[in-house]
Amino acid sequence: MYKVVIGLEVHSELKTETKCFCSCENKFGGEPNTRCCPVCTAMPGALPVLNKKAVEYAIKAGLSVGCRINEYSVFERKNYFYPDLAKAYQISQLEYPLCVGGHVDIEVDGKKKTIRLDRIHLEEDAGKLIHSPNGTMVDYNRAGVPLIEIVSMPDIESAEEAVLYLQKLRATLLYLGVSDCKMQEGSLRCDVNLSLHKEGEPFGTRTEMKNLNSFRAVYRAIKYEAKRQEEELEAGREIVQETRRWDDNAGKSYSMRSKEDAQDYRYFPDPDIVPIIVRKDYIEKIQKDLPKLAYQRAEEYVKNLGLTEQDALLLTNEKYVSDYFDQVIKEFNEPKFVCNWILGEVFKKLNTLDNEEIEILISPKNMAKLLKLYHAQTIGQNVARKLLDELWGTDDDPEIIVKEKGLAQNNDAKGLEEIIKNIMQNNQKAVEELKNGNQKTMAFFVGQAMKATSGKANPKLVNEIVQKLIK
Amino acid sequence: MPKISIDEVKKLAKLSRLEFSQEELQKFTSDFEGILNYVDLINKVNTQNVDLKEKAIDAEEDLRADIITKSLSQDEIIANAPLSEDGAFVVPTTVEEGGQ
Amino acid sequence: MDYLNKSLFEIKELLESGKISSVELTKMCLEQIKHTQNINALISVCEDFALKTAKRVDEDRKNGKKLGALAGIPIVIKDNINLKGTKTTCASKFLENFVSPYTATCAQKLIDADAVIIGKANMDEFAMGSSNENSAFGAALNPKNTMCVPGGSSGGSAASVSAYQCFGALGTDTGGSIREPASFCGVVGLKPTYGRVSRYGVVAFASSLDQVGTLTRSVKDSAIMLEVISGQDKNDMTSSAEKVPNFSNIKSDIKGLKIGIAKEFFNENLNEEVKKSLDDAISFYKKNGAELVDISLPSLDKALAVYYIISSAEAASNLARFDGVRYGVRAQKFSDINDLYFKSRSQGFGGEVKRRIMLGNYVLSSGYFDAFYRKAKKAQKVLKQEFSAAFSKCDVIISPTTANVAFKIGEKSSDPLSMYLTDIFTVPINIVGVPAMSIPCGKNKDGLPIGMQLIAKQWNEEMLFRFGEIFEKNHKEAKNV
Repeated sequence: MYKVVIGLEVHSELKTETKCFCSCENKFGGEPNTRCCPVCTAMPGALPVLNKKAVEYAIKAGLSVGCRINEYSVFERKNYFYPDLAKAYQISQLEYPLCVGGHVDIEVDGKKKTIRLDRIHLEEDAGKLIHSPNGTMVDYNRAGVPLIEIVSMPDIESAEEAVLYLQKLRATLLYLGVSDCKMQEGSLRCDVNLSLHKEGEPFGTRTEMKNLNSFRAVYRAIKYEAKRQEEELEAGREIVQETRRWDDNAGKSYSMRSKEDAQDYRYFPDPDIVPIIVRKDYIEKIQKDLPKLAYQRAEEYVKNLGLTEQDALLLTNEKYVSDYFDQVIKEFNEPKFVCNWILGEVFKKLNTLDNEEIEILISPKNMAKLLKLYHAQTIGQNVARKLLDELWGTDDDPEIIVKEKGLAQNNDAKGLEEIIKNIMQNNQKAVEELKNGNQKTMAFFVGQAMKATSGKANPKLVNEIVQKLIK
Repeated sequence: MPKISIDEVKKLAKLSRLEFSQEELQKFTSDFEGILNYVDLINKVNTQNVDLKEKAIDAEEDLRADIITKSLSQDEIIANAPLSEDGAFVVPTTVEEGGQ
Repeated sequence: MDYLNKSLFEIKELLESGKISSVELTKMCLEQIKHTQNINALISVCEDFALKTAKRVDEDRKNGKKLGALAGIPIVIKDNINLKGTKTTCASKFLENFVSPYTATCAQKLIDADAVIIGKANMDEFAMGSSNENSAFGAALNPKNTMCVPGGSSGGSAASVSAYQCFGALGTDTGGSIREPASFCGVVGLKPTYGRVSRYGVVAFASSLDQVGTLTRSVKDSAIMLEVISGQDKNDMTSSAEKVPNFSNIKSDIKGLKIGIAKEFFNENLNEEVKKSLDDAISFYKKNGAELVDISLPSLDKALAVYYIISSAEAASNLARFDGVRYGVRAQKFSDINDLYFKSRSQGFGGEVKRRIMLGNYVLSSGYFDAFYRKAKKAQKVLKQEFSAAFSKCDVIISPTTANVAFKIGEKSSDPLSMYLTDIFTVPINIVGVPAMSIPCGKNKDGLPIGMQLIAKQWNEEMLFRFGEIFEKNHKEAKNV
């Protein structure tokens, strides 16, 4: 009877070469404080210098979800003390963000639903704290890495919708190539704002949840928080506006701080960073160079390759799958055949891996070879499946493996006919049954033929020969 | 005339991460009142119709190119650290509280 | 022959002609620094670095190498300017032991011009102050009268130049921090247009107002130094692409140029002797062919209020990085990270710095932001408009640098507001962002220097040099200082 209202704040690290405000390398990991300079470690006197690429990537992200790009954009300081924040302020945007408005469309129960966006702004990441017995170690390698914060309107109504929204957003950013979106490495992070209210009544008090490091965590945290709030309300208690921390291991969230100790961030325009003007023709230039997004690729698959709409959508859900498909059909131009195999066998394989950031661990070239062998009936379906498992994670050439292991199908019609004649002679009863129309007996002959050829007989061919012989 | 209470000064001190003795707080509060009283002068400037937008630079032409420059070594970064270990700065154990 | 009392330009010629070597000169300066140690002008002396540089320059000169504009000339820089491998304390206990891992762009430009950086000057802590009394390393004294303050915050730079320890110094000016001490110590102090000189590596006080400038014994010296340190810097987004003119080539006449006089600068608080010196200077300009124009700057008396809001807001944020994590003071005992912040900052900062941080956080905090910070930013725009209107009528504006001559040590240290009011004529210039120069224009009956301030349009420092040099060369009072 309560309606759940959810707004998401998604932080995504941008894949630029350098950090947002200095020329240090933007790269995950490494020895502590080895990708640092006076700027990102806030040495006295150091000044930020805005990275053009970071601005461009943020605009790209904005354009891909229909944002309006602000012509005039300002960077502000968000002031708070924390050891991972060297300057004791984060450079972010408040009054004039780069992108405003926009929307992400998801499909809920077969129907399109629009999640509106409030804004996308550019800001910098903080350093990393690593806890050790001697205290907390501070590493500023990540400090100053560019982030976009994508703020949705409170249009999300369930954990399922939240995950669909995140998947769509993630796919979009991956298609754009502006972010790696690796949740385990923290290059995609999400905060959840959630409140409950009854139909027709105003929104309830919301809580904010942090530290959600996977889609699963987002899903579970929303379920947990919705239930918690419902129980509070049912018990006649009020929801406290607070920030909560999700503990994924415990499957619970804890209060971090209430509104009363909410920080006063004292935002003001950063006097070290001159405001920027994004001219219309620059926006148009970026727009023109936007890579094809999922829906555009899907349209092309239907139009140019003759795939069904359903298949095209499945294939383009994830950029790496679509990229992979494109590479395989470059080597082996049988789109439908390749598509069926990827959606069937490869997806089955991927589903066994419990991981959000998965890869197809066979090179497109080897996959094309494998599929060529299968398509030409040089190998049968079972062998093809087995080979998929065997080749996974290796660089082995399927053609060589098939040759070395003698996995090729027996397509020798003459030889097979002799073998089948032999089987028929020894199984007259079965021949009679087959003649009488008992098709089940066919399986018997195929099985016998397989046995006689150590499993290499082409079953289709066996079938054809049996049919011919009983006429 | 703007007034400021000693509690407000205490709150500001907390926000500023500064500690004061009771005596200092008293002095600050009275100094503050004098200063605030003085800066109240800005209200005599007519600022109607003033647009706060500042001069801006062009996002396409005037920003830094995305090219890596090697800067300081780990040793140089931590050379002034009051406490460090294995190239990292060390602070007392700190968990989420107070972070962003 | 006495070399130390030469101007930078004169000593440059003597060095070039081989009358004296840089090593000899540097040694003389080092000797003079020891001699005048009582004025406490320097926080550190870079003796080895200076002698090494001087020796290298002498050798290069002997070998006929092309040398920079400041080759072999001993220069002092304010101690908020980073110089790799030396201490940059900002006269704060917090940074007492901080050794810079990098060099500020303006210091690098001095080095590239083959200057001999000989020492780092005393100042008010983090450049906050008008008397140099807010230094963790003790007040600098005015060489003209050691009972008096040298002014601040670049008090050490001004005192060092005035006491012949060097031939020029870099200072920083956020609200008058170059011009006021120049006026008190009887030297030439230039605050260039905001954006003229890179701020990279200069420890920030109020980023939108801070500007590096020069303290010298002559106008031409100032022009020579400005030419060296100016120019766009890829490390400072606020530095301008504006072309750097050949400043040291100063035009010599001012005939037909217009000099603006705003009554708001000549109010009842102006000391009589200062006023008389200014009147003299104005008649000098008139006699030399300049046209006097009355201008009006109605909001001028609000500039100091605007300044204290904007500068403190920026300072509160700029100084938040001094948290005891990466460098600087860390308290001995603390219970957790927040306690570490509280204790380290409280131990490391002096009273004035704390006061400004508090004021800054006040005007930025929720509930006060619009009434103070935003209102001040709007008032700043109004002041810019008023100056711009005034400059449509004249080429330079003349004013006193300060309403009074140097005051006694301790005289104003207990009342922050009376100290702040010292900057009432200099602060508007930073609020507006235009260039201004303080030039000695007389002495009071006690022999303390009086300074006048020349103000020009954005990017028009040339006009300051032009008006400054003709005065310096021809006006008897200027020569007496």
